[in-house]
Amino acid sequence: MADFYQTGIITTLHRLGKPSLERLESELMEHSKARPVTLVLPALYSEFEGQAMPRIVEELARVKYLQGIALVLGRASDKEFRKAKDSLSAIPYEVKIIHNEGRRIHEIYETIRRNGLNPGEDGKGRSVWLAYGYVLAAGKSYAIALHDCDILTYSREMLARLCYPVINSNLDYVFCKGFYSRVTNKMHGRVTRLLVTPLVRSIQNLIGEHLFLKFIDSFRYPLAGEFCMTTDMARVNRIPWDWGLEVGSLAEVYRNYSPRRVCQVDIAETYEHKHQALSAEDPEKGLMKMTVDICKSIFRTLASEGVMFSEGFFKSLSVSYLRQAEDTIVKYEADAAINGLEFDRHEEAKAVESFTKALSLGAQVFMENPMGTPLIPNWNRVTSAIPGILEMLKKAVDEDNK
Amino acid sequence: MQNFFSLILEPLKGVYAEFADFFPNLLAMFIIIFLGIVAARIVRAVVLKLLKAVNFDSWSDRMGFTTIMRKGDLWAKPSAAVGSFLFWLLIIVVFMAGFGALKIRAIDDLVSQCVLYLPRVLSAVLIVVVGYIVTGFIGRAILIFMVNRGYHFAKLLVEAVRLLLIVLFVAMALEQLQVAPRIVVSAFSIIFGGIVLALAIAFGVGGIEAAKKVIEKETVEKKDEKNDDIEHI
Amino acid sequence: MTMDSIISRKEVHDQLEKIKTADILVGIPSYNNARTIGHVVRAVQAGIAKYFPERKAVLVDSDGGSSDGTIEIVQKTTLEDFQSILFHHRIEPVFKMAIPYHGVPGKGSAFRTLFEIADALNVKACAVVDSDLRSITPEWIELLLKPVLEEGFDYVAPLYQRHKYDGTITNSIIYPLTRALYGKRVRQPIGGDFGFSGRLAKFYLTKDVWKTDVARYGIDIWMTTTAVANNFKVAQSFLGAKIHDPKDPGADLSEMLYQVVGAAFDLMETYPDSWKAARGSEPVTTFGFQYTVGLEHVKVNVERMVTIFREGIKGLREIWIDVLGAGDFGQIEELGSLPDLKFRFPLSLWTRVVYDYALAYHTKKLPRGHLLKSLTPLYLGKTASFVMETENMRQDEAEDEIEKLCAEFESIKEHLINGWK
Repeated sequence: MADFYQTGIITTLHRLGKPSLERLESELMEHSKARPVTLVLPALYSEFEGQAMPRIVEELARVKYLQGIALVLGRASDKEFRKAKDSLSAIPYEVKIIHNEGRRIHEIYETIRRNGLNPGEDGKGRSVWLAYGYVLAAGKSYAIALHDCDILTYSREMLARLCYPVINSNLDYVFCKGFYSRVTNKMHGRVTRLLVTPLVRSIQNLIGEHLFLKFIDSFRYPLAGEFCMTTDMARVNRIPWDWGLEVGSLAEVYRNYSPRRVCQVDIAETYEHKHQALSAEDPEKGLMKMTVDICKSIFRTLASEGVMFSEGFFKSLSVSYLRQAEDTIVKYEADAAINGLEFDRHEEAKAVESFTKALSLGAQVFMENPMGTPLIPNWNRVTSAIPGILEMLKKAVDEDNK
Repeated sequence: MQNFFSLILEPLKGVYAEFADFFPNLLAMFIIIFLGIVAARIVRAVVLKLLKAVNFDSWSDRMGFTTIMRKGDLWAKPSAAVGSFLFWLLIIVVFMAGFGALKIRAIDDLVSQCVLYLPRVLSAVLIVVVGYIVTGFIGRAILIFMVNRGYHFAKLLVEAVRLLLIVLFVAMALEQLQVAPRIVVSAFSIIFGGIVLALAIAFGVGGIEAAKKVIEKETVEKKDEKNDDIEHI
Repeated sequence: MTMDSIISRKEVHDQLEKIKTADILVGIPSYNNARTIGHVVRAVQAGIAKYFPERKAVLVDSDGGSSDGTIEIVQKTTLEDFQSILFHHRIEPVFKMAIPYHGVPGKGSAFRTLFEIADALNVKACAVVDSDLRSITPEWIELLLKPVLEEGFDYVAPLYQRHKYDGTITNSIIYPLTRALYGKRVRQPIGGDFGFSGRLAKFYLTKDVWKTDVARYGIDIWMTTTAVANNFKVAQSFLGAKIHDPKDPGADLSEMLYQVVGAAFDLMETYPDSWKAARGSEPVTTFGFQYTVGLEHVKVNVERMVTIFREGIKGLREIWIDVLGAGDFGQIEELGSLPDLKFRFPLSLWTRVVYDYALAYHTKKLPRGHLLKSLTPLYLGKTASFVMETENMRQDEAEDEIEKLCAEFESIKEHLINGWK
């Protein structure tokens, strides 16, 4: 059962009492008339062969308030693209699949590159960014909701709760991030628990209060991939194309909007998904890259706010972080004990060691090249360089979907 | 016996002689076509290099030509499209020259007819392009005019006007191409006249009451407009 | 001096030879104003006589080919009764010139004639007044010329007391826009009656605009913007109410928007460095004793305005999405769905609409005529909203609402600068 404590400087919307999905959806239907919302789904073809997708499709087919769905399909051949299209045919409203490897989209990326702009490397960040472009080009949506396609415990209540704060004109939030507890027989979400939160708090210990750090620390699950935002934000936010996507996106929200218009919402009692990306690669390597990218994202944002970094600072930070992380392990051990959850202290400690190494590496990379930025230019910038780009993108997607 | 062999050999000699006459022309045709294809490929490569050097693709993206291509579902690079266009144009010229080398009257006549038909094709394309632009322009001007006066059926009216203009320009293009010209002219008259007649009937008979209301509304509004004392500047 | 310059005409040249030099010039552009120009001429003469008795003055009627005897009336009109203007000294005669102007038909060409004559006579200060003014008094001449002659200003804009519903294009577009762009709070930049120095008149002549729309209808905003953007000393003078012959009631609003807003947007192309650099705004020196004038009630058909606004949402949807973007268009749609009583056009939304139109004008998204005319329903929506909001407000309270709009224009200026490439 949730409490109703308000964390930090953003609004936290809890799961209190027995919220009714029917009431929520009926209100959403009303509000979405003036504030239509499009759902963006970044997906790999392999997810269509997984266990989560059929359930997601079934649930989405019952949603009545969405303007449409824009699914960005990665790592799919033309044949696989058509198969994916068929499997979404059960959804009765508009579904557009953006074929990331298709020749039309490939030409779109080429067009952007030859005009001096870098859409970044292939990955979730770039896919999501492209989908934003399509939604902007279609010009019909007030808001964009986004979630992953590997959620085994998906229910349309998640989507409803995600969209509600942004679509409801009485609440009028511009950005809403989902949070949930990733608990099965043990606690998951090590990167959030053992890296992001202790890191943010360590930096706060060293430099004192900083609004950005308070902002990040306010999020209960800053690495959640589920959020809803206004399409205006899709125009002005610059997205990192690396693993710093979630934290970098939050940094952009912080940069462009007041924390008063930002909220987080409890979207699920239980949440389980597969970490295919991490487990497919060497876990050490994958986690390392993620940690480095997350750290770079945080350092870069703080540097742009005027915080000075030095060798000495990073040395102190490593020590401070390690201390914080170790204290955190003790806390979680107690939490696991009282709730009868499995807890491998050794694994947790090993993770913290890896994170510490990665933190040093991240610091080193940052110091060598503080301006090295994996930020994709925002759509305002792209459209001012290539005025017809959104039209071209829309045409590409519409033709692919014919 | 000698006569019998002559009977067989004479026609063969004749064919051989004709072939001997014709063979140089045939050879000339193949050489012209072969060299022409090579030249066309060289020209394409040079043009591509040149366009790349002047950042033609980037310029085309900014000017909107790429967008026009994409609207036509053409996804090649603009420079590649220009290169291809030039290549195939040269190939057509080369083939026409090659066929000319055969010196066969029928083929020469066919080639001449194709060449003479080209201007018609060009003017038909021009009519379609101009028609597209003009239709868009006039349609938008009428739409803005009607909306600014508060006409409720502005969009409907504009679509009707657009349709009429499209029918007009398509008929003009087909007439240029000499595609069944009498049928096209008759069909155009029927369709165009039909649309106008349908509008007249719909408005005049079916919409008498509505038309009356619109006219009354307009008169009242004109009075209202005069009563609007606001000085905008 | 070019071949088509007015000075090259013999009859003008002869008159200028006679006059040689002058201290002040008052110009009246005219076209078939026989009914009203007599009063204006008398007021000008009285003003010169009363306030500038020792100054050598020229009154120039720059005429557009009137066929109703306007020029003859100008030549015949004199001020007989000096007592009534409380003036008894002997005065210098006012030289009068009534000449047809050459060039593109329009007020701008008329003004060019005046600038050329001012330049030829080496005039120190000039004023121009409309030829159909009914509320002009001799004091207007003092208020437009004295700041130039004695206070060293180069440009004096008028400040009228207007009904809160009048001048909505000025109030909702031109004033907030030019204030935010150029940083000077000239309240009525397209007033029509101005004062300016001989130095500024010479500067105007150096600009090659006399074959453009400036010559036809954009001269007022052009004069104000050119003076402000080129750092001339600018002031404004309170003249009271401006009562003139009503403009042709059939005059098309779309055409007005096209001309006025188009002229303002064109000037942004001429002075991008100037307006990009300006931050915030500062008040300009205001002369004249400000008083409240009783103004006639103005009838406004708000329902029709809102209806046209709603028709615009349906009919011009594609154009508006293209210009404004889906987000703002969504807000426009929401606005259209509100009941009439709750119809309120948010200031930030209107500001973004104007800026987005400026950007679309700059990037030539659409043919300019179509673009600006498509602004009409949006403008009517804003006007209707303003009328309803200020229905029960006093003049000064309504002015505060305009002030809020100006603040919004200034604070969102980044949106315009960022989008301008």
